[in-house]
Amino acid sequence: MEHARHVFRVALVVVLALVVFMLTRGLLVPKSYGMYGPYRHDNVAEQMNARKPAFGGAQACADCHVEQSKKRAAGRHKTVNCEVCHGPLRQHVKEDGSIDPMPVDRSFTLCTRCHRKLVTRPASFPQVVPEQHVNGPLEGKICLECHDPHSPKL
Amino acid sequence: MAGRNDALRVIQDCQAPAGGEPAAPTRREFLGDALKLASGAVVFLAGSAGAAGGAQPGKQPDEAYNWDDHLYAYLIDTTKCIGCGSCVRACKVENGVPDGFYRTWVERYLIGMEGSYVDSPNGGMDGFTPVQVGFVANKSFFVPKMCNHCKATPCIQVCPVGASYRTKDGVVMVDDTRCIGCGYCVQACPYGSRFINPATHTASKCTWCYHRITKGLKPACVTVCPTATRQFGDMKREDDPVRKAIEHERVEIMQPHLLTEPQCYYLHLDKEVR
Repeated sequence: MEHARHVFRVALVVVLALVVFMLTRGLLVPKSYGMYGPYRHDNVAEQMNARKPAFGGAQACADCHVEQSKKRAAGRHKTVNCEVCHGPLRQHVKEDGSIDPMPVDRSFTLCTRCHRKLVTRPASFPQVVPEQHVNGPLEGKICLECHDPHSPKL
Repeated sequence: MAGRNDALRVIQDCQAPAGGEPAAPTRREFLGDALKLASGAVVFLAGSAGAAGGAQPGKQPDEAYNWDDHLYAYLIDTTKCIGCGSCVRACKVENGVPDGFYRTWVERYLIGMEGSYVDSPNGGMDGFTPVQVGFVANKSFFVPKMCNHCKATPCIQVCPVGASYRTKDGVVMVDDTRCIGCGYCVQACPYGSRFINPATHTASKCTWCYHRITKGLKPACVTVCPTATRQFGDMKREDDPVRKAIEHERVEIMQPHLLTEPQCYYLHLDKEVR
């Protein structure tokens, strides 16, 4: 009888500890944790909807701007996505469908990012040394004075 | 009553030294053993409870998207890169990456017999300008870099809170509601592709634009790449150009000796690139 009481006390402590542990665990561990591994599975869906895509791709632009798209697709800039120079679609067409003016980067630096002569660029890629390419000072020059960005000619 | 005593005898017998007289355990010993037994039971029960909670096979992250149908891979042809940095700029806008941090960046290599030079000014975001090095550079090239989305990732292994994980479609991501910002993963990544976001104080990295690829779009960097240096594909689609290239071309991976099984493949990667 003496022994039985000891066992009972210990068992009670163990059961209580177990209950406390399970309750705490239930409260602290997120519901979807461990479904596919040691991570919270709900985060996958959260990541999918974390933000709206900003870039739409050239096809999305062509839906409205047919003429420019045709011109671009026939020219030497056919692989250059519109948004490289114009900025992401989401800045132009808002989520509610309203249209904001499209930012157009006409700067000299935009063109030289790709076309300034560098030994590191593939040799077959069209490049110029701006200082030799332009007569007179470079200051204030923009390439678009002579070159049409949608269908550049050499 | 007799039953209880029998049960006690079983416990005592188990603890008795072989061949010796069964000795009654002291209270200390008994309590110690009981605690061990209890903790074992708790671990077992917790494990089975966890397994029961996870018994929902086939649950998709979203109804419109089945992640079992995809296994993504990335292909970078280093001979095509012109170092324009459009990818870095697009990534910044698409993912709201804070200034001074990069989810993808472009490195410039200049290599000669007497030395080598590597730089990535502002991650290559504003392009590159000519640079003077103190040796004759025999070869030079750009290498776009990013998270390699490894199959055997060091970054996930070291995460103490289960915030880093790899999805079934092959994307390594960070759950920033779980991340405690300890930075272990930042140190563990051999490719340097993770950082602690100063705004959220959690680990941040390339997600292959998971919000885009699950809607059928390409990652932003691939969308804007003017030379098709960067390509993104699905290994579960038989006609996929990236899958074909990986299957038929001589592709390389970054730091293969680390056995991280990167899913970013490189074409024409130089031995100097780490």
